[in-house]
Amino acid sequence: MELEDIVSKYPPRLIMLIPLAIIALALIILGATYLSTGSPVHLGIEFTGGTLITVPATESEDAVAAQFAGYPLADIRNIGSMYMMQFGPMSDQDYTALVRLVNSHYANSEIRYMGPIYSKELQAQALKYLPLSFLLMAIVVFLVFREPIVSLLVVVSALADILTAAASMDITGVQLSLGTVAALLMLIGYSVDTDILLSMRVLKRKGAVEEKIIGAMGTGLMMTGTTIAAVLSLIVVSNLLYLVIPSFTRMDIIADISTVLIFGLAADIFNTWITNAQGLRWYMNRPKKAGRGHRK
Amino acid sequence: MNISSDFLRDPRVVLYIAAVALALICIGVFGLKFGLDLEGGSYLQLQLQGAVAQIDVTPEKILEYQFNATSVDKHGDSYVITVPGTVPATLPDDLGYPGAKIVQGGNITKVTIATTPESVVTNYLRKRMDADVKIVGVAPVQYEIRTNVTRESLNAILAPVGGSVPQGEDTFVEGLTPDTVDETKNVLDSKLNRLGLQDIKVRVVDNKFVLIDLAGMDVATAEDVVGKPGKFEIRIQTTGNDTVHVLYGDAVESVDIPTGDQNSAWSVPFTLSESGAQIFQKEAIDSGATKNPDAHNVIMYLDKDEIFSAPLAPELAASLQKAPIRSMEARVGTGDAGQQKAKELYIHLREGALPVNVNVVGSGQVSAALGKQFKFQMVIAGLIALLAVAGMIFYRYREKRIVLPMITTSCSEVVMMLGIWALAGWQLDLASLAGIITVIGTGVDQLVIITDELIRGGEAASVTAERSVKERAAAAAEKSGAGTKAAPAATSKVYLSRLSRAFSIILGAAATTAVAMLPLLYMGFGALTGFALIIILGVILGVAIARPAYGRIIGYILSES
Repeated sequence: MELEDIVSKYPPRLIMLIPLAIIALALIILGATYLSTGSPVHLGIEFTGGTLITVPATESEDAVAAQFAGYPLADIRNIGSMYMMQFGPMSDQDYTALVRLVNSHYANSEIRYMGPIYSKELQAQALKYLPLSFLLMAIVVFLVFREPIVSLLVVVSALADILTAAASMDITGVQLSLGTVAALLMLIGYSVDTDILLSMRVLKRKGAVEEKIIGAMGTGLMMTGTTIAAVLSLIVVSNLLYLVIPSFTRMDIIADISTVLIFGLAADIFNTWITNAQGLRWYMNRPKKAGRGHRK
Repeated sequence: MNISSDFLRDPRVVLYIAAVALALICIGVFGLKFGLDLEGGSYLQLQLQGAVAQIDVTPEKILEYQFNATSVDKHGDSYVITVPGTVPATLPDDLGYPGAKIVQGGNITKVTIATTPESVVTNYLRKRMDADVKIVGVAPVQYEIRTNVTRESLNAILAPVGGSVPQGEDTFVEGLTPDTVDETKNVLDSKLNRLGLQDIKVRVVDNKFVLIDLAGMDVATAEDVVGKPGKFEIRIQTTGNDTVHVLYGDAVESVDIPTGDQNSAWSVPFTLSESGAQIFQKEAIDSGATKNPDAHNVIMYLDKDEIFSAPLAPELAASLQKAPIRSMEARVGTGDAGQQKAKELYIHLREGALPVNVNVVGSGQVSAALGKQFKFQMVIAGLIALLAVAGMIFYRYREKRIVLPMITTSCSEVVMMLGIWALAGWQLDLASLAGIITVIGTGVDQLVIITDELIRGGEAASVTAERSVKERAAAAAEKSGAGTKAAPAATSKVYLSRLSRAFSIILGAAATTAVAMLPLLYMGFGALTGFALIIILGVILGVAIARPAYGRIIGYILSES
């Protein structure tokens, strides 16, 4: 197994350059997006405000769009025998008229209106809760290990996961929505599972660090594998099946959650078995005079 | 072989079986409730507008400003206001001081009003902001202003009377008192219930947002029903299109259930307050409605929309000419249309206005057909996820005896959660279903940790694929010094130390997942509460009930092989 070779043969400091480069790249992407849009990730309609309308229709895109000519239609997309339309801000009267128009033309529509107060409040909440969630996770990690360096490695790996997942959102055009915030929060909790497994195995078992890492990898990859399998099935059903089976429809919130989770889990494989593992290798095998925490 | 009886003696296994059975009973008895996005319907998110503020102002200055007075003196519980020239008889009433004494003498008029300093402030604010203002605190006196207001706009309103909001963080707090929020919720609740709408859920978030779910209704109708409840007003037509203000909703003391049937006209009986009846009589006479009812309709407005307009009935007009009348009825028409109108008017009259001004911050609808489709798709997603996870486990362990208990345990965790949901009467929405699927993912993760810890115990490396699970298990059992006949491995020291090591990993992982999800309970106006709650509860139930039992069961099974 190549990954095993990397993990055990090359000197940790050399390998650590790769995750550092990836974190730097993620930060550059997030920074560039911040400079161009004023936010490190693209904000979805929930954070910018607007109206989202989904209607079942077999007509052409233009024909559907033409019906809403009088309203600030910003975007229209075909999502499998349905069209999803985004509207910009409009007056209360226009909104009510639009709703009536939609309901008189289409029997099975979905409408979501997110006003400016809603989106402002949501932005404030995201800014407050994402760091809070991360902080809570870090506290638990420190309580679990009571070893500053080991805990720090876990927290850094988790941070790298989140940054990578956020940067992947920028690259693939996934916007920040309520669903993706939920996914990022979940990732905070999820991504440390394998890190905890790895660190526990390395700290509490006897044997060479490299062997323990490889042993933990069997279990850890399996864990991430089952989670990826579950998330992939969510992606298939929420975001792909509608392309094949006409009666299926896209489920936004599920598609958002699962897409971000996939990015994050992929990043997690890398960060657990490269970033965290190499950090542990360096920490456990460092010259003896540093002493503390060295259990060999 | 009496594995089953050994199982049943283990308290962890007993607890687990009992929990699953209890959950199944709960689901059977109470049934599962689904959220709006799976059942169809619409939702409204309202922001209650308002603030609680302290105000530095001299009441005399307010009265001086309002009456254009030269001087205002406080005598006991009264204020005597000296105004040059004359004062329109209705001015004190208009400003909120009914029963004022007006004495004219020479070039000046003296108006005496009995009121407290705080009432002067409330009256002034009410008048200027066209909103309800209430005194909510003493020492320092705090005013609750029930409309959209900022520190700046309040200062601007107080500037002409030389007042201001004192400096400091806590002198102006956005939001309303919990009592007011409660009152608003109750008004909405009763209003919706009286409309005969079932399954209405009115929730309050953060003490300032009210979330309303309305099943089986499109969002335009929903907004009509609750989105803009507002001010009820009675006016009387004077000449042509001109009308004169008579009463606001607060003068309507009680409203009775609409009366009528298929043949006669529908009407809504209501009672005015005593002072309200006097004002009504006076305005009816002044406008000429008592003499010539047909030319002077009595018009009711809700939020400036006309909801009722009809002349006084001849007999009522005649009685009003002589004395104030408190009990009246609004006749709206015949047949089903009349019944419907009566029903609406009843609500409007009864709830003239919500206690506070509201602002629609979000709204939406999902059709029932679409909801059904979502539900179906989520079930498919769940099944695919389960199959995919089972496939992964089988690929790794190649052993039915491990895969089956794992999948069963994972499914039973889902059953336990659904049991709690059924018992609590919580709704399962789209996000909660996604939560269930991810819980299957994390649950299995932890079962993998337990299994691997037990199988491979002390041997750190050697993930030799050639060695089958059976061999490893046998080695593990041997190490623990156990025979293979009974199941002593499941209680041996080595087994227990491995299990406890597995649990130290699991507990750490579970705790981080749970705490990371905590903020989601409050985020997005409760949109993701179900998602977060299911993940947190799933983790707790899994760690507390399902996984200990799994540890025992898999221990027995492994030592049996």
